Amino acid sequence: MRMRHRSRLVEVLDRAENGPIMDEADFERGVVTPTIKRLVKQYSIKFDRQNIVPNNDELADRLFQAGLDFAVEVGLFCQSTSRRMLWSRQELIDGLRFCPSEAILGAGNDAVTVLARRPEDTRRITVVGGAYGVPVPEHLFVPVMYSYAREPVVDVLENATLETVYGRPIKADSPWEVLGGWREAELSFQVLSRANRSGMCLGCVETSPTALAEISASSWGGFRPTDWHHVATISEFKTNYDNLEKVVHTARIGGALETYYNPIFGGYVGGAEGVALALTAAPILLNQANLAHTFGTRPDHPFLHCDTTPEILWALSFAFQALSRNSNLLISSLAGPAGGPGTKTMLYELAAYTIATSVSGQSMIEASMSAGGRIPRHISGLEARLCGEVAHAVSGMSRGQANELVQQLIPHYEPDLKTNPIGKPFEEVYNVDKVEPIPEWQGMYDEVYNELVKMGVPLGRNVL
Amino acid sequence: MSNFTIRSEELAQLLLEADANAAIKWSNQQIDDGISPIDFFNQVFTPAMSSIGDRFSRLEIFLPELMDSAETAKEVSEQVVQIRLNASNPDLNTSRGKVVLCSVKGDLHDIGKKMVNLMLQVNGFEVIDLGIDVPPREVIHKAKEVGADIIGLSSLMTTSMPYMKETIELRDGFGMKGKVMIIVGGAPITPEYSREIGADAFGRDAVEGVQKCLELMGVVT
Repeated sequence: MRMRHRSRLVEVLDRAENGPIMDEADFERGVVTPTIKRLVKQYSIKFDRQNIVPNNDELADRLFQAGLDFAVEVGLFCQSTSRRMLWSRQELIDGLRFCPSEAILGAGNDAVTVLARRPEDTRRITVVGGAYGVPVPEHLFVPVMYSYAREPVVDVLENATLETVYGRPIKADSPWEVLGGWREAELSFQVLSRANRSGMCLGCVETSPTALAEISASSWGGFRPTDWHHVATISEFKTNYDNLEKVVHTARIGGALETYYNPIFGGYVGGAEGVALALTAAPILLNQANLAHTFGTRPDHPFLHCDTTPEILWALSFAFQALSRNSNLLISSLAGPAGGPGTKTMLYELAAYTIATSVSGQSMIEASMSAGGRIPRHISGLEARLCGEVAHAVSGMSRGQANELVQQLIPHYEPDLKTNPIGKPFEEVYNVDKVEPIPEWQGMYDEVYNELVKMGVPLGRNVL
Repeated sequence: MSNFTIRSEELAQLLLEADANAAIKWSNQQIDDGISPIDFFNQVFTPAMSSIGDRFSRLEIFLPELMDSAETAKEVSEQVVQIRLNASNPDLNTSRGKVVLCSVKGDLHDIGKKMVNLMLQVNGFEVIDLGIDVPPREVIHKAKEVGADIIGLSSLMTTSMPYMKETIELRDGFGMKGKVMIIVGGAPITPEYSREIGADAFGRDAVEGVQKCLELMGVVT
């Protein structure tokens, strides 16, 4: 891992203490929204339903410039100090020049190397599988997470959120949060042991709304520096001391750090065009502020609770092309289908999502926040298998072909998005003892898999 | 299309343009031209606000436009509707209810809650937004202070959900059950959880949240 940019840690913290003071509401409405609107107009960014996977390098480069402009003008807002954190254009460009272009996640035989990729790249994509913060009861944590760890296509494991710790509710900013973080670590290691993948990288600490659990449970006996430590961004373009505390801790333990930014479609950044611009700007800024290895996103539709609408797919594909053509940032995205386990809707959503994002240059595909991530236990390992298989299958695929596939897939699920197709909980789609999909769920997967093959997705190839 | 419908659409357009002076001038003119203040409120102003809420629920407009429209509507309400209604009937209360709203302790998510706030406002509620990361005692204290009809609690984190339960326990403990209703919402919240902790209603999103608040206030929609 090349973390030359972590020498800037103190300088980052200084910005949170010394930047211009501003009211938070003024930052959102007076800075973020008007800047997005102006730049969308200035750079003629326009949603194109016919090209959900755009195929125009000039447009992608223009979006990158718009994102860089936004990053320079807006910066981040630190809620804890009511100050803006600003960087000059040159500082941001230098930050991109020295960002990590690869990262090793995990240890020993289970380590994987995440690589910077370009649109239509043949270099191997990293597959993250997991329950992504979906609440699960303690007794189901190990089987649920093992359903991902047992999948050979999954490289990195991302944890569920525990509903309770020793039967008690986990309260943010309390001793229960600390205990919850440790319990998550203990159970995660049981999963890795059962899968014989002890060095496998774990996305953590899922149960850490403040810095408490992250700092406590990422220490001796708990989560390891080779795990994937998360730092959120507060929408839109905001951070706080809790997040910065996680950055400092992870930097000082030499941990792998993932930061993510989840814009709200229809929120302060507006529609598809604004989301595309925000998705481009955010990693440029977070590379400065959070000194991360990898940069994730999971945009959200406020009423459909998913990131698979045509508008959001377009924004993701476009932004990833802009970033991957103009930087070595290790970008990733988290599939958040409206559909849940036991539905074909979800499988079509996942396929479209994976194709659109993977051919656009992302380094990692993350799967998945099924049923919008809202419904306890509505997740299963089969989702990650599909995303991983599709991501490898479309390696090297042209954006034009990818667009054709996505256009074929969207009508298969778009009409269902409004029907709240949450499917079934884990224990109804998997045999919990054997941790295997029940025949009905496996059969549904096989049917969609075969449909994808007929559509032209080259599934089943050897993986590089 | 009735005259009232045409006028409410005209007002909605003015609100969307966020030109407060023009909207105020136009509204005064309608009443001066013969629409009674109560008809203006019921048949023009309220439907115009609902129309804006509907457009947001279909994402034909986005949060910034919704916020601008709500602020413009507030000015029209304060500078035209309330004054004209008070002149004709000083005892008339046009608010559909008073809601104290927040993201509970440990939760820093603001945008979804802000959407609920604005959708409530454009549907005639008075909203006191306490912001994010708000401890249960502070919520109850504010609800008592302002005489709230409803407390709206948002949580997008499982680790903040226990603070919803604590808020409900405090409400009940302070003898406010039946006087102040509590509605809960947010990504991990389910109807089952809502019932389990004793909430009076659950809203899946901003649109359903408003619907449930109207039901809690006995407004048939």
